[in-house]
Amino acid sequence: MDKTASLVADLLAFISMDACTADRFDQLALRLFAHQYENNAPFRSFCQRRGATLRKVKTWSDIPAVPIDAFKAMELRSEPALPTERVFMTSGTTGRAARGRHFHPRLDVYDLSMTHNFARRFMSGAQRLPMGILFPDEQAMPNSSLAHYLALARSEFGTVDSRHFLTPEGLDLPGLCAALAQAERTGQAYALLGASFSLVHVMDALREQGRSFRLPAGSRILDTGGYKGQSRELPLEDFYAGLEELLGVPRTHCINMYGMTELSTQFYDDGNAVLPSVKSGPHWIRSRLVEPVTGRSVAPGERGILVHCDLANYNSATTILTEDVGQWAEGGFLLLGRAEGAAAKGCSLAVEEFVKAAAA
Amino acid sequence: MKVERITAGHLPGLRDDEVQWHVLPFERDGLRLEVSVPMLTAAQMQALAQRVREAADRHLRAMPVAEIIDVIDRAITRLLDRNDPFRREAEAWLPVVSGYDADMLRLGLTGYFKTFRAPQLRRFVAEDFANPAVLDGFQPAPKGGAVRAFGPDLLVHVWAGNVPALSLWSLVCGLLVKAPGIGKLASAEPLFAGWFARLLAEVHPPLADCLAVVWWRGAGGEGADALYAQADTVLAYGGNDTLAALRQRLPMTARFLPHGHKLGFGLVGAAALDALKAPAVARLAAWDVMRYDQQGCYSPHVFYVERGAPVPPRAFADYLAAELANLQRRFARRPLELEEGSAVAGWQQAVEWGSGDQVLIGPVDAPWSVAYGDSLQALAPTALYRTITVVGVDRLDEVVPVVAKQRAFLQTAGIAASPEELYRLAGLLGAAGVTRISAIGAMSMPEAGWHHDGRFNLIDLVRMAEIEQSAEAAAQPFASYAD
Repeated sequence: MDKTASLVADLLAFISMDACTADRFDQLALRLFAHQYENNAPFRSFCQRRGATLRKVKTWSDIPAVPIDAFKAMELRSEPALPTERVFMTSGTTGRAARGRHFHPRLDVYDLSMTHNFARRFMSGAQRLPMGILFPDEQAMPNSSLAHYLALARSEFGTVDSRHFLTPEGLDLPGLCAALAQAERTGQAYALLGASFSLVHVMDALREQGRSFRLPAGSRILDTGGYKGQSRELPLEDFYAGLEELLGVPRTHCINMYGMTELSTQFYDDGNAVLPSVKSGPHWIRSRLVEPVTGRSVAPGERGILVHCDLANYNSATTILTEDVGQWAEGGFLLLGRAEGAAAKGCSLAVEEFVKAAAA
Repeated sequence: MKVERITAGHLPGLRDDEVQWHVLPFERDGLRLEVSVPMLTAAQMQALAQRVREAADRHLRAMPVAEIIDVIDRAITRLLDRNDPFRREAEAWLPVVSGYDADMLRLGLTGYFKTFRAPQLRRFVAEDFANPAVLDGFQPAPKGGAVRAFGPDLLVHVWAGNVPALSLWSLVCGLLVKAPGIGKLASAEPLFAGWFARLLAEVHPPLADCLAVVWWRGAGGEGADALYAQADTVLAYGGNDTLAALRQRLPMTARFLPHGHKLGFGLVGAAALDALKAPAVARLAAWDVMRYDQQGCYSPHVFYVERGAPVPPRAFADYLAAELANLQRRFARRPLELEEGSAVAGWQQAVEWGSGDQVLIGPVDAPWSVAYGDSLQALAPTALYRTITVVGVDRLDEVVPVVAKQRAFLQTAGIAASPEELYRLAGLLGAAGVTRISAIGAMSMPEAGWHHDGRFNLIDLVRMAEIEQSAEAAAQPFASYAD
């Protein structure tokens, strides 16, 4: 077995465990760091600029965090490109910036990370549920990590009558209503999963038609990704109140997933009865809150930028500097939005306004 | 935590208990400062406008400009006196609201205030009016007849909070043209304008009612509308979006004088790049980057440095980085909010991971940052807070077409070059849209009487009233001595 294969085998075994000690996490994180330092040239030069060498990095939190913009600029990979690899890309909403690319030579690590965590955090014990997916399928969006995630949810945890209700032609509302009505009729718990903005569109459509459903006990909803300018900006309070009102799913069963194209592992909350909800991940991902310029951890109670060390990112870089603001909370962290909108105070031009002006 | 409270603004004719107050909190080094700012109703705003107008009619308009200059000079003398209570307040509280280093602010305030002494104010007036007496009475016009300059009936100021005491500029301009004024405080610096209005009232009590200083949240509601409806001239600082929205709300007949965001840059020619001169120029450049953490409209974002001299551009960038590190020890950058820090980190990442040839000089976690590149790119803003780009160029002339593309954002260019080069480059840059050329090191210290954004500070405020020759001639037959 070559080195990478044995590393991946150990990683798969690690993910399959139920928990791990801090030491075991560190050991694997450092092995992965060494692997990436050796094989991932842009990552290595980044580490060298940061003065981080194999000898200096002694624990996972010493690993330099790669900013997500690096996924746009560089091919961050430890294995050479393969014709069979999957490439997940960020959505690149503005058309101005390049799209970030995350290379997956094989998906078994991603898939195990997803299924192992999803079973616990979303299914909570149920083997399979009929699922409605409010997102295009993998054929329509082969470079979307979310499309793959949802396809995996459907194939591994959905019953045979599960369906995608969003096609390139748009939302199949009659089909969705029929599925919801059937769940109501049969009393079979139902799972609705999709992009947050798609759920806003569904709620708007239901309101317009004056329709609502009371899904049976055990039904659940998963939303993810925020609105991304694709729907109106709904305050979270209204969003979850709307789901409860229109679909009859209690807010304790409305789960928000926090994931990123640049990661291979997802975070979940335990329902959204109380906002903002507390997010947490499985034992193979750890997070820090940092001050963005120095990269130092912020004082307890302070807001900081989230850094994730995701061991399932075995090919790209385990440790990612996000643009998301977080704060520690009991059992995990609060997600407080994107670090943006630092309004320029005065006459000197700040980048964002300039970009806007230059694009106009 | 120790809490201090300050009541800001200046409201002639209104008692504190008649007005609604909003508290703006500031925190620094374990001290919390709560600044109460006044929020007026539409009716109160109307009454205030009426009051400052009447007071200016009675007092300000009757004063000769020389006397106004004398009053301002006496106020400025007090602001320059470090034992004066107003100066002490400014030194104590402006660092708290702005977060800027206290020593940097102290030096900045002194350097700034001394450009408003009587001789400078006279120059300021002379800059715009060949015969300053036109502000006091009708003066013979070369074409015949007579002419007099009248200031606005009501001058409204909308200030930005980037540079502490920024409001002094427009307040002084308004006074010199004898305009009653109402200003809106910036939330980020809600103190100085109110202090200045009160200080003037102390120095010359009849002026107490000629100025008012208010606040409103964001773009403001009906109070702001009531004020805008009465303004005949509005002088505003801010981003282009804010200014565009403001213009929409003004009466068609109001004169609008916007000062939007600008993008400063510097040029360092080969003549300034020998082993003796280059470090000195780099030190001066670092001062321009350091002052007010680059928040001024005149602050530099990019230095273009000519190749071919003993000190290559990359070495100049190293000197600049070393000087910024030195200055950090004397005048620390203000602590950044999380969002500001993210913007800085984002800019650094774009340099580090970008497709260009730029590199970051110095430690990535330093409270300053120099990006160096060898290829000429579009003139683009940095993330401010002492983040600066140095670009090596074969000839400074190459820079002209690049900066010309940002014409609408040009204002200040610092130049280090020989006298011939200075004039030659100034011609090219002026044509490209630059309105102010200064020494490097003086970019962030505009001189008294400068033409802000290339405009006339005082002429833009006044309207000229003329007595034509025909009227003069026609009056003759009606004289008591007419034959």
